[in-house]
Amino acid sequence: MSEDRLRTLLREEPLPGAAEAERRGLALVERAYAERRPAERPVLPRLALALAAAALLAALLLSPAGAAVRNWIDDVFTAGVRNAQPALTRIPGGGRLLVESRRGPWVVQPDGSRRLLGGYDEASWSPHGLFVAAAAGRTLNAIEPDGTPHWSVSATGPVSDPRWSPSGFRIAYLAGQALRTIGADGTAGHLVGPAAPVTPAWFPPGPHFLAYVDTTRKLRVVETDTGQTLAAVDSSPGVAAIDWAADGRALLEASSDGLWLRHLRFAKLAEGFRVGRAQRIALPTGAFLRTAAFAPWGRDIAVLLERRVRTGVPRSEALLIDADGGPPRRLFAVSGRLSQLAWSPDGSRLLIAWPAADQWLFLPLGRRGHLQAIGNISSIFSPGHRGRAPFPRIEGWCCPAAPAGSG
Amino acid sequence: MGTEGSERKLIREAQRGSREALAALYAMHWPRAQRAAYLVVHDAAAAEDIAQEAFLAAVDGLDRFDRRRPFAPWLHRIVVNRAIDWGRREALRAGAGDSEGRAAAERIDESASELMPALAQLPPEQRAVVVLRYLLEYTPGEIGRMLELPRGTVNSRLRRGLDRLRDLIEVEG
Repeated sequence: MSEDRLRTLLREEPLPGAAEAERRGLALVERAYAERRPAERPVLPRLALALAAAALLAALLLSPAGAAVRNWIDDVFTAGVRNAQPALTRIPGGGRLLVESRRGPWVVQPDGSRRLLGGYDEASWSPHGLFVAAAAGRTLNAIEPDGTPHWSVSATGPVSDPRWSPSGFRIAYLAGQALRTIGADGTAGHLVGPAAPVTPAWFPPGPHFLAYVDTTRKLRVVETDTGQTLAAVDSSPGVAAIDWAADGRALLEASSDGLWLRHLRFAKLAEGFRVGRAQRIALPTGAFLRTAAFAPWGRDIAVLLERRVRTGVPRSEALLIDADGGPPRRLFAVSGRLSQLAWSPDGSRLLIAWPAADQWLFLPLGRRGHLQAIGNISSIFSPGHRGRAPFPRIEGWCCPAAPAGSG
Repeated sequence: MGTEGSERKLIREAQRGSREALAALYAMHWPRAQRAAYLVVHDAAAAEDIAQEAFLAAVDGLDRFDRRRPFAPWLHRIVVNRAIDWGRREALRAGAGDSEGRAAAERIDESASELMPALAQLPPEQRAVVVLRYLLEYTPGEIGRMLELPRGTVNSRLRRGLDRLRDLIEVEG
């Protein structure tokens, strides 16, 4: 092997998730940059921010919801939850999980049994869990949860971010910089438009309205069957994820730097709807966002925050924020990095990943139940792997009961 | 204007508070920093963390940075040293008795190219000098200064690393 050959191999080695990592890194660096210039900030807003943070903290500790969970707040774990179950023998709260490992996606049944679907890169559930949409290189595939393939279509660019519509009849996905949709039977594909690398979000109540961020960073809502643009506004700065409230009346934009909520007003269906101004949701000072997601029911937003500590491990916390206002509810805090979250299908639990502790945390949100931790997650999804296996990614927690004949 | 002059200008603008200049510097240097970290640690999440930490350190030290000096070596020094530390820690954690490379070898994606399993056979320190020399194009002298190693040690690590890679990557492209 020549030195030139080695140079080529080093330059061309595929780097998993490079674009997303670059985006996340930029948001973080920009935030750190903004914070390094205190002299340029007006005094009054800083004071207002400090007061707001103090008020938020007081609200957290004094509100009934805050009081109810204060024992958890005080219980700051540092190296994983003690007495974590060493094996996944059932999913607390039931349902099925879709989990992405280096070997491909796994479907986990309520009793903890698992099946590897094959060599796919990304996957997501159909609305009732009868199928899985899976990306592999430049193909989009529909497969059954037992791994049986149904159809496959090729794209001109790398396929990513497949999302099944709530109706079960459409799938949206990115093919390179193009946002496309296709029928659930693998036919009638068409181009929606050029899109930024942000996962598109279907309108939950049913019509085939799709929100996405285009390559000019406009947040767009389109009716995918007709191609009609229902709304187009400038997206919030650095947006890396979007999500609808279950009732479709609010749209969330998230970046590592902030969280914005837009309320929507419906006009007559043919006229589309008005997307309101982005309202920034105040986050605690010094915190940045790892991830956020609307509950499958209601208007709660689950949020994972991280605070960088200059020396030592970061501190993470999980919050519940009511989209209609009111003080946030702090659920859980750890000294370490929490990285993923998924709502249970009934909205009663959160599943949170703690990679450094090699644990999944199942967090009940009501007054009943207790935190359940499951350890050895890496090895559970890398059987036969010697040494420390990569930590898997939670793709989804499925599903409400399936009406007959739907996806 | 050449890259170096352009970079100096960007650093000056970033020091004066230009967010656009910072973003341009980031776009210029992130991909190679992340790739270098990945090729040493063989773990995408860890590489992202390492590159992030290096850029945060860069932001932290921006006001003190001497614009006459190139930015990249300073950044790469942080990246590669942290990547080596991470690799050593992981090797220890995996309890690699026979070879430091074994822990990394076990993390390799099965779909990865011929390069990654071969690189994984090298200890982190050797991977680092290979990456610094053949990806980032530093001279052995510059690598020595970055890693605080004698030039002869760098040369011997490079020679041993290349020999090993030649054995493991059998066919030239």
